[in-house]
Amino acid sequence: MFTDNPYERFDFLEWWGTLSPTFLSVTVIAFVFLLAAVYYLLPKRHRWVSLLAGSAVFYCLAGIRPLVTVLLSAFVVYCAGLLLETTDKAFKKRRRLILWSAAGILLLVLAYGKLYTLLDLKFGYIIPLGISYYTFSAIGYLADVYWGKEKAEWNYCKLALFLLFFPKILQGPIARHRTLAAQLNEGHDFAYRDFCFGLQLAVWGYFKKMVIADRIAIFTGTVCSDYSKYGGIFLLITFSLSVVQLYCDFSGCMDIAGGIAQMFGIRLEKNFDHPFFSKSAAEFWRRWHVTLGTWFKDYVYMPITINPTLLRLSGRISKRWGRRAGRIFLTVIPLSAVWILTGVWHGTGLSYVVWGVYWGALIILSSVLTPEIKKLNERLHIDVTKKGWQMFQMVRTFLLFCIGRVITVPGDLAATGRILKKMAMDLRPWQLTDGTLYMQGLDWKEFVLLLMMIGVLWFVEIQQIKGSLRERIAGWNMAVRCAFYAWSVVFILIFGIYGIGYDISSFVYMQY
Amino acid sequence: MEEKILNLLSEEYPEIDFTSSDELVDDGILDSLTITGIIAALTMEFGITIPYEEIVEENFNSVAGMAAMVQRLL
Repeated sequence: MFTDNPYERFDFLEWWGTLSPTFLSVTVIAFVFLLAAVYYLLPKRHRWVSLLAGSAVFYCLAGIRPLVTVLLSAFVVYCAGLLLETTDKAFKKRRRLILWSAAGILLLVLAYGKLYTLLDLKFGYIIPLGISYYTFSAIGYLADVYWGKEKAEWNYCKLALFLLFFPKILQGPIARHRTLAAQLNEGHDFAYRDFCFGLQLAVWGYFKKMVIADRIAIFTGTVCSDYSKYGGIFLLITFSLSVVQLYCDFSGCMDIAGGIAQMFGIRLEKNFDHPFFSKSAAEFWRRWHVTLGTWFKDYVYMPITINPTLLRLSGRISKRWGRRAGRIFLTVIPLSAVWILTGVWHGTGLSYVVWGVYWGALIILSSVLTPEIKKLNERLHIDVTKKGWQMFQMVRTFLLFCIGRVITVPGDLAATGRILKKMAMDLRPWQLTDGTLYMQGLDWKEFVLLLMMIGVLWFVEIQQIKGSLRERIAGWNMAVRCAFYAWSVVFILIFGIYGIGYDISSFVYMQY
Repeated sequence: MEEKILNLLSEEYPEIDFTSSDELVDDGILDSLTITGIIAALTMEFGITIPYEEIVEENFNSVAGMAAMVQRLL
């Protein structure tokens, strides 16, 4: 692109082609600061226009055609929203037809995008970035308008901004129109505190992604390329690290997205709430990918649950086999639907269906068997309020998540079976001390650094639970604060992973 | 009405104190599974159909909220 000849013309299109829509690119970071400057310089009532233009430019980094697909989808949502708003509620069938038609179109585009790679479909179609996220946001918006919980948006450009808003388009959070739209449309005054807190959050996200997640990725990538060489304990460590990797990758991106949004005075919904402190599978999924869980709860679980036929059936079961049986029925049906759909959302292929069934079974069983579990704890004299027991519950939940990773990461269920068998019967503990550990892309120094950084992550998470860490940092002396910020950035630059072969476009959850 | 609902819910969920808060949902005392059970119990007891528009936090945050909702739907 740039040559020694200073007179050679700068090729804009060639340069544009080298960019990708990721927060890890220096050009994109510079773009965010430029956009923030434009945003705050514009008159308040026009500030949303700069966000729309900025979001469109950001999305264009993936190409023009994906942007056209999103804008067309937004047009479908816009028309359907207005039709729902203006059709009298007495015409129930007509309104239902509008909702299902629009949702059907959006889901068809999503399904095609999902099957595109699986079935090797080639019709010159490029899967739009973040298609799952904006599709779910759009369906949620339409359902809310249908139920009368939300007013339809009459300005197409404002609706397009809600769907396209650049910090959340890559990996979510799955935004709700009622919480985000008003924030996007009103112009925010520059607030030093918000801007500064936003930057801090983004830097913490970069730390999680570049220092921890991408460092672990080297190790897990090497091991996962050939599982057969390793024993059960080694694989258990690998999958435990892969869980931390996924968390740092995904929540790191959420912190960057949330931080960038906060620089514009906009609060995105929280997507992670310290999930590794969860004491059960159900609690874990209330803390991990929160917006996906609440989306499924509001738009799948609840509508199925209050279906009159299901409630009637539950009533009949209660009368015949007792109240508990009725309640179990009402728990199993909607939760099964939710978890199979959650599995399909996460990926195509049988592994993901099995993964959904696995989590669904865990959550349903723990809910249905609550009285028996309580009795068992009493019989075994387990004090559930003791810290030791709660620690055990947290470790157990972590291991359950590891098993979930073993189901999806290998790509086929036969390999999953082989890995689980090794974890149970072929331990080979000597691989931890014979140097194998340090031959998977990370030498011992890198490994020690990684463990220290995971320790920092753990410490910060505990501090965050105790109270806002950012508030505490804001209370420090100005000079100390500035030195700390500078040190943090330099630390990430030095210890972040971005060497040869580093793919800056690869956030794990971007594939959805 | 309030008393009738309180008795019904206390019988269904003896482990939950429904009078402890006016923000049962927001305080995390009721999760989605419990709300499902409450909807089923109210539907069967009063013979009502609870439309989705009514499933909002305000209607389940307290026994008074639930009673007001049931009154509307009767």
